[in-house]
Amino acid sequence: MISAIYNFALTTGANRVIRGARIEHVCGDPTLSPEKDYAFGMRIVTTALQTLTIAVPGPTLFDPMAPGKAEETAHAS
Amino acid sequence: MSGSLRVVHYVNQFFGGIGGADQAHVGVTVKPGVVGPGRLLETALGDGARVEATLIGGDNFVSERAEEASRAIAAELDRCKPDVLVAGPAFGSGRYGLACALACKVAQTRGIAAITAMHPENPGASSARREIYIVPTGASTTSMPAALSALAPLVRRLGRGEPLGPAEIAGYMPRGIRRVHDRGRPGYQRALDMLLDKLHGRPYRSEVPYAAPERVPPAPPIADLSRARIAMVTTGGLVRKGNPDKQVSANAVRYHRHAVAELESLSPAEWEAYHAGYFNHIVNSNPNYILPLSFLRDLERQGKVGHVHEHIYALPGVSTPVAVSAGHGRSIAADLKAGGVDGALLVAT
Repeated sequence: MISAIYNFALTTGANRVIRGARIEHVCGDPTLSPEKDYAFGMRIVTTALQTLTIAVPGPTLFDPMAPGKAEETAHAS
Repeated sequence: MSGSLRVVHYVNQFFGGIGGADQAHVGVTVKPGVVGPGRLLETALGDGARVEATLIGGDNFVSERAEEASRAIAAELDRCKPDVLVAGPAFGSGRYGLACALACKVAQTRGIAAITAMHPENPGASSARREIYIVPTGASTTSMPAALSALAPLVRRLGRGEPLGPAEIAGYMPRGIRRVHDRGRPGYQRALDMLLDKLHGRPYRSEVPYAAPERVPPAPPIADLSRARIAMVTTGGLVRKGNPDKQVSANAVRYHRHAVAELESLSPAEWEAYHAGYFNHIVNSNPNYILPLSFLRDLERQGKVGHVHEHIYALPGVSTPVAVSAGHGRSIAADLKAGGVDGALLVAT
């Protein structure tokens, strides 16, 4: 599940949660240039697709915006 | 009080002494007096109650031939006319739990009070807890003594035709029934007391029952994305431009499935958001923000994703009761499975 309010997704039981940009534009950012907006959205979508190839024990957050690597994981409480 | 309480006890083939799983096919039989755990039940009930008869049903028989089993149980209840039926305890045994729930429902339709006991996660409890009285127990028979002592006072009250009082006080599983009553002190005082208890680390209990979300086992990982069929679902209120399907903007009672096999991306000339829970204008300029078809088409062309599924699913996920949402989710998931989908991206606003 891609969501900007990712804590809701984690606490309500979604198992693979990908942090989206904003509620009003989950997969991208219109304040960026069209090229950067596209690259940002693509980063979110490819992170989401990669989570489908990873086994998770339960609700797990993947953050495409985390510095360094594309998928920084954190388990829900 | 005139005479002692007349109890009929329902047990399965195992507790009825007929046999284990190999005997689960046996029909409903009746034995006079107590059998098996009925002795302990009678002891727990004390002098004022007697188990007049024990109904024994094979778990498989009762679950597979519910109507026949119901008739047999009803016939015996009509013959014996007990004050109360006690079924189980069934602990964690699913089919036994369902059979106990069925026996209780049959009794209630004949005006006979009924109660059972089982583990809260027993399917018998989850399916029937709104209709019958169920005392929560542990998952195994080791909790038999505790289960029977919890059952006994409720059996006596039901048998005497007395009301049980609220679930959390009387000790049965909540049936989702609210009654208007006076708590004696106004809400603001109770709320402040609760806050003070919380701040001082004292125990307190919320008056708003918390329903824990359902835990769903994570789907196993996809081995190879480049061969996988990927679908997209959005709760962002995506609709065709002008909303010709007349979707609502909140509290959706239905979702819509749209064909996108011919589309490269979602054009703002053809799609828009209709959702009462967020500012829709940004999505209206680029609907791919809430349903990333344009990205998936690029990845499909690059061979990184096998197939983009030909249907998308959309609804506004706002102000919708959890039970309704869960129903939409189950229905969409079933459709995706039937369509051979390996994985789905759900975009939530």
